[in-house]
Amino acid sequence: MTVTSTPAESPKVRPAARKSRSSGAQRRAVAMFIGPFALLFVAFYAVPIVYAIIQSLLTVEREGTFGAPQQVFGGLVQYQQVFQNTAFWQSVGRVLLFGAVQVPVMLGLALLFALLLDSPLLKGKKFFRLAFFAPYAVPGVIAAIMWGFLYSPSLSPFGAVTSNVDFLGAELVLWAIANIVTWVYVGYNMLIIYASLLAIPHEIYEAARLDGASNIQIAWRIKIPLVVPAIILTAVFSIIGTLQLLAEPQTLRSFSSAISSTYTPNLAVYTTASIPNYNLAAAFSVVLALATFILSFVFLKATQRKVSQ
Amino acid sequence: MRAHYGKVTAAFAMISALALSGCSAGGDSSEARGEAAPCEASDGPVELTFTTWVPGMDKVVDLWNADNPDIQVEVQTGPNGNSGTYQNFFNQIQAGNAPDLGQIEYDALPNFRVQDGLENLAGCEGVADAEDQFVDWTWGQVTFGEEDAVYAIPQDSGPMAMYYRADLFEQAGIEVPTTWEEYAAAAEQIKAEGSYITNFPKSDVNWFAGMVWQNGGQWFANDGESWDVNLTSPESEEVATYWQDLLSEDLVSTLPSFSDEWNASFNEGQQWTWVSAVWGATTLSTGAPDTAGKWAVAPMPQWEDGGEAAGNWGGSSTAVLKGSEHPAEAAKFALWLNTDPEALALANELGGLYPAAKSAADLESFAGGVEYYGGQKIYEVFSEASANVNPDFTWGPTMTQTYTDVSDGFGAAIGGSGTLMDALENGQQKTIDSLESQSIPVSE
Repeated sequence: MTVTSTPAESPKVRPAARKSRSSGAQRRAVAMFIGPFALLFVAFYAVPIVYAIIQSLLTVEREGTFGAPQQVFGGLVQYQQVFQNTAFWQSVGRVLLFGAVQVPVMLGLALLFALLLDSPLLKGKKFFRLAFFAPYAVPGVIAAIMWGFLYSPSLSPFGAVTSNVDFLGAELVLWAIANIVTWVYVGYNMLIIYASLLAIPHEIYEAARLDGASNIQIAWRIKIPLVVPAIILTAVFSIIGTLQLLAEPQTLRSFSSAISSTYTPNLAVYTTASIPNYNLAAAFSVVLALATFILSFVFLKATQRKVSQ
Repeated sequence: MRAHYGKVTAAFAMISALALSGCSAGGDSSEARGEAAPCEASDGPVELTFTTWVPGMDKVVDLWNADNPDIQVEVQTGPNGNSGTYQNFFNQIQAGNAPDLGQIEYDALPNFRVQDGLENLAGCEGVADAEDQFVDWTWGQVTFGEEDAVYAIPQDSGPMAMYYRADLFEQAGIEVPTTWEEYAAAAEQIKAEGSYITNFPKSDVNWFAGMVWQNGGQWFANDGESWDVNLTSPESEEVATYWQDLLSEDLVSTLPSFSDEWNASFNEGQQWTWVSAVWGATTLSTGAPDTAGKWAVAPMPQWEDGGEAAGNWGGSSTAVLKGSEHPAEAAKFALWLNTDPEALALANELGGLYPAAKSAADLESFAGGVEYYGGQKIYEVFSEASANVNPDFTWGPTMTQTYTDVSDGFGAAIGGSGTLMDALENGQQKTIDSLESQSIPVSE
């Protein structure tokens, strides 16, 4: 993937002086390209992460009932609290269940739509591509508010349904959220898979047709296997997105009594930071990040083994 | 190629995961400052910032700015305290860039004090002498009952009474309840008419606290050495059991309060009463405009026949936040804001505030009848209620957390798992855990 050339590859032997000048210029060029990214990366990614880790290792001490708080090093005290916090782990379990159902449904739909867009039979491709993608242009919070109104028994235009089915009750609200997330992100994932479909050389299809393959066979045996990397990519993004779920449940809290303050892990972090208990919130964040990393990594490992078989 | 692609994805996954969840805020520990620090006036002109969520407060402040060119106040509007402003305050205090003045409800003052977020104004000119100008219990809330301590200036209060649909009660031939027993009986009759007597607000735990307050209960006590947490006293239990029964029999609705759905329910006559604070008068008239003229106000139903006890729900103070460079000027402004007759009248007209200042009783806006309530002089009811509020009610030092945990439990009870009493027991334990995790001493 990288495009650096080594002198060994070069057929001509360059003069030493020129070589060092050119590598100096090259270094400057590299620095220029990486610089802006590295600066922003350090300021907005690396520093906050280090800061969160430091915060998570501190604890508060004070004297008397109204003593001023003083932060001191507390070792792993906060992490001990994280692992004892049943509400937090319940929320993790909740989003895992959510992801196990919602991610396959959403990616299945995204793949189906992408294949339809790519199929030679469909007319009005441009319209459908935009129509499927349009919900992604709606900010998540706005989407949640809109669906909140659609779900509300007495405000919904579909009152006949919503007054009989309590979408905002304790049993269904998780799936009501899943519906919103799916609605927003199907088009986005569809586009990634569709782009990957467009990159497949058409000669392969021609060859398949000559061998007598039908459109469905081409989709099943050629297209889907070739876009697996794109599907894995969208799956990883979706797993991360699921564990980070915040905006939709937070917004729906003003529509539903069934969403607690610790409904998802990120809501629990937010609630804890509001107490304010910054140290515990930081520890939650670090644990959540590690859990997300491990889950994504395990998923990648598992799918890679499958692909290479 | 494929393996390489996988590694890039994994690295990206890790980075995004860390970045997205790594955004927690914090700051250096602030050293405790001495109590009642000297409060000296600054030289030269001063600019102050004031964060509030009372509608129209900017107009009230305009009055001040016109008369005080040397102390100019800029108003910043935020969401309701627990909906975001307090979080901002805590973060700003931690970061050292909090506004000079902030609106803080009485129930959140201990929380701010325990986070070392309030300036003690006792040493500022005129503050200690202002005690007589405020309703007794509100002054108790801002001084925590201590000598040499004034941590905020009382702004308004929320004595509670019962708003009810006079027309519907009359048509149905149901007596307006004066005790909680009658209230429960009326709830059944109203349910038979196809409506609800009221809505149980899962997230307004401070409303529930007002109910406990009326019943003579206390949730917290502070003897200076440690905190006593008592969410599960017999008084609390009586209130919890009472509302649990109404919930179990489906006699009250469970809409999220102050939502559009909730407004619509009042507007369409689905709700016959609302036991609420004085500021609720404006909430109702704006949320349920179609029912104008049909409402009336009566004292809260009583636990004992012939009783007069009232609860309180809400009410705010104006506090000077830690780190302000001009506490003397800020205190001067806060005193003016909450005692000046012109300011009080305008704050009531635009923001619906029921001032904590005693002089408010003489204000014209509280003397007459209110059209929305069929011309009834509703403020007479609230003024009486205000006099019957137990002056010694103590709030805990992590009220945001207590409210959230109890509210979660209430939500579960509404969803059918557990009871309101379970929610209080769970809230009790979580509160003790939360205090201990921040090294706040608790007596058990």
